[in-house]
Amino acid sequence: MSNGASLPYKLRPNKAVDRELFLALLGRLAATLKIESYRYVSLGGAFLEDFRLIHARLGICDMVCVEAEKDVHTRQIFNRPVDSILCVYSTLENYLDSNDFDKPVIIWFDYTAPGEISEQIERFARTISEVPINSILRITLNANPQSLGTPKSDEIGARVGRLDGDTGQKQTIQEWRLDRFRERLGVLVPSDLKADGMTFKNFGKSVLHVLYLAVEKEVLSLPDREVVWALSTHYADGQPMVTATLLIKDDNQEQLQTLIKEWSFNSTPTTPRKIDMPALSTIERLTMESCSNPRERMGYDLPKSEIGEDPFEMFRQYYRVYPHFARIDL
Amino acid sequence: MSNESQDVAIAIPTKQFFVSMLTRDISLADAILDLVDNCLDGALRSAHGGQVDYSSYFVKITLNAEFFSIEDNCGGIPREVAKNYAFKMGREPDDNRDSENETIGMYGVGMKRAIFKMGRGAKVSTLYQDDAFEVSITSDWLDNKDWEPIPIRDADASSRLQESGTAILVDTLYPGVAKHFTNDAFKNELKTAIAEHFTMFLQRGLSISVNGQVIEPIHVEVLVSEEVNGPAPYVFEKTIDGVLVSITVGLNTGRGLASDDDEAPDFERDRSAITAGWTVFCNDRAVIVGDKSRLTGWGDSIPLYHYQFSIITGIVEFRSKLAEKLPVTTTKRALDTSSDIWLQALVKMKEGMRVWIDYTNTWKNHPRSEQTQHWEKAKSLPLRDAIELVSKREKAQKIVGIIEFNPKKQHVIPIPPTQKPSSRRIVFSRPIEQIKMVSKSLFDTYDEQPGVVGDKCFEIVLLEASKLEETGNE
Repeated sequence: MSNGASLPYKLRPNKAVDRELFLALLGRLAATLKIESYRYVSLGGAFLEDFRLIHARLGICDMVCVEAEKDVHTRQIFNRPVDSILCVYSTLENYLDSNDFDKPVIIWFDYTAPGEISEQIERFARTISEVPINSILRITLNANPQSLGTPKSDEIGARVGRLDGDTGQKQTIQEWRLDRFRERLGVLVPSDLKADGMTFKNFGKSVLHVLYLAVEKEVLSLPDREVVWALSTHYADGQPMVTATLLIKDDNQEQLQTLIKEWSFNSTPTTPRKIDMPALSTIERLTMESCSNPRERMGYDLPKSEIGEDPFEMFRQYYRVYPHFARIDL
Repeated sequence: MSNESQDVAIAIPTKQFFVSMLTRDISLADAILDLVDNCLDGALRSAHGGQVDYSSYFVKITLNAEFFSIEDNCGGIPREVAKNYAFKMGREPDDNRDSENETIGMYGVGMKRAIFKMGRGAKVSTLYQDDAFEVSITSDWLDNKDWEPIPIRDADASSRLQESGTAILVDTLYPGVAKHFTNDAFKNELKTAIAEHFTMFLQRGLSISVNGQVIEPIHVEVLVSEEVNGPAPYVFEKTIDGVLVSITVGLNTGRGLASDDDEAPDFERDRSAITAGWTVFCNDRAVIVGDKSRLTGWGDSIPLYHYQFSIITGIVEFRSKLAEKLPVTTTKRALDTSSDIWLQALVKMKEGMRVWIDYTNTWKNHPRSEQTQHWEKAKSLPLRDAIELVSKREKAQKIVGIIEFNPKKQHVIPIPPTQKPSSRRIVFSRPIEQIKMVSKSLFDTYDEQPGVVGDKCFEIVLLEASKLEETGNE
């Protein structure tokens, strides 16, 4: 488990927005799919925050929290917000392999380790054929290009614009990463992927494209089911991450497809939504919420993050689901 | 009673055989590649045995749920060929169009099989010099048991092609095929296959596009040092039974591997470079790309392929004007492994592989930078350039018709400074937390490779032991 996984949500505002979008999606589908009767399977971290919200907002009682680290598992049992959560000491993969599902499930593959991305994507794609129709699958993947490794400085040539001179076999850092990326993901790498897809800003989109192709490949051999991509996001709270959520449906459920496609936050792995919320003081936030021209009213620009989105535009898109954390002295 | 009978047994092939049996032997992607092959043969014929300027040719492929089309400007089909050969199921012995060309087509089934793989009807339009005509294969013709000749119709002004070339349109796709054509994973695989199989032509300027996206070649190359005594790949070239066989085996990167990658999970298939392993060319077509199986010798008196060998690339090329002598099957995407020429080549391929398998073994647990420095002045070159550069070396053996260079025998393979003939490997495992702790104390970083950490530990203890030995002797 990475350090990021144990950070509280208040230090990860973008992840908090992403999670709110996921809950909003489930809320939108709840009445049609009777989501309250689903089973929810996820990795809860020490505090089981997601489980509390899933139960509170959607009324799901059948919940399974899977954890492979003994210490965290013990802590989870203590921290359970409702006692209908079953805490299982296992890897998520092992739990899925040793259980049959007799009703639709929501499974969140909340991966953080970057090293096994190939296995993670293959496992997610494979699960599409293993769960009942109307199940919802969600995956989080690490999208930090530095996770591909760091070359020694003498292995790398520098390039400015199109001036590349004779660098022999030396590559730029992006070309070096592209080679490693191909090594990790093999045939699933998009044929037109260029070194530019390996930058901090674009790497998330490249990872999502690989995920998309893996799922497309899987679906080709499943005549009885289709997938509808519902929500894809790319955000960074320090560590860049991407997520993708899909619904598995059969051929004749057009109303479900429409329900998802008409959702204002609908996004696919090929067109992910970037979430890049600015850190704000309370007065800045209230100003931005209450007026239509906050930039002019405030008279200054807010700093951009490494993902490079306009903070005012980001706020405008997500202020409804942007949680506000305040300190409470107990 | 006479035992003479007037009965005869009908011995003609059925359409059913061609339409539903023959198409089972080929995948959908390979069928499309077969059509591209035909375009290239057209370009080759247009040059009449001369040098082909591939940069003046294009192949445009469009596929979607409704139709498949492939259009080229590679010369078109002469009317006589259309009348007598092009639409026959199988090649006639008197069809000697390619006796002077290095093509790969030899069975005369490619186009028809590809069409029937995709759908039940097609229109082939062509412009050869000034002669424009069309041939339509319909589902009625398919359903009719008789082998009726198919009419050739002159093209009218509206459907006449603009340039000499051929356009094939298949518009009655089978549902399963239409599903593939709307699937992005299939389209991605097709584009990758084109980038691999036609890499030589793409590198020479041929333009192939799929749904408007121009395909870029995947380079299959080995490292060669330009210095006379610098590291170089294994090279072998010889004409066997009218086929020029050229082989090179070397490294695809000088970066070296982290030793702990040996313990990677069983995902070598996914983890290895596309061009690692063997790539086989027949008359410039890559028949097989990056093969890591028994087919190309792995696991056959040579270790099975695993991640340690992912820096090894082998390229073998067969070139001949006699297409039937090339070791390929009818799908052109698989090898005829019983072919004598292939078996002879395999012996040399394995010889070359052993050189580099030894190299990766020798460099296990040595710092990556030490290995990398030997390759700093090396260039990545395709087969032909690699052979040319290596054959210029004095030590390259050149007997009449044969070029051979074994880098190990010529002592140009980099060797780690501490490697001795009596060297033995030590292998042991420790928890990663402990390795990181030792790594931090020895190298001031938590992330040095475990093998390097272990090696350093041994070096330190060895030094101490040597001192003790000396003290003890006093």
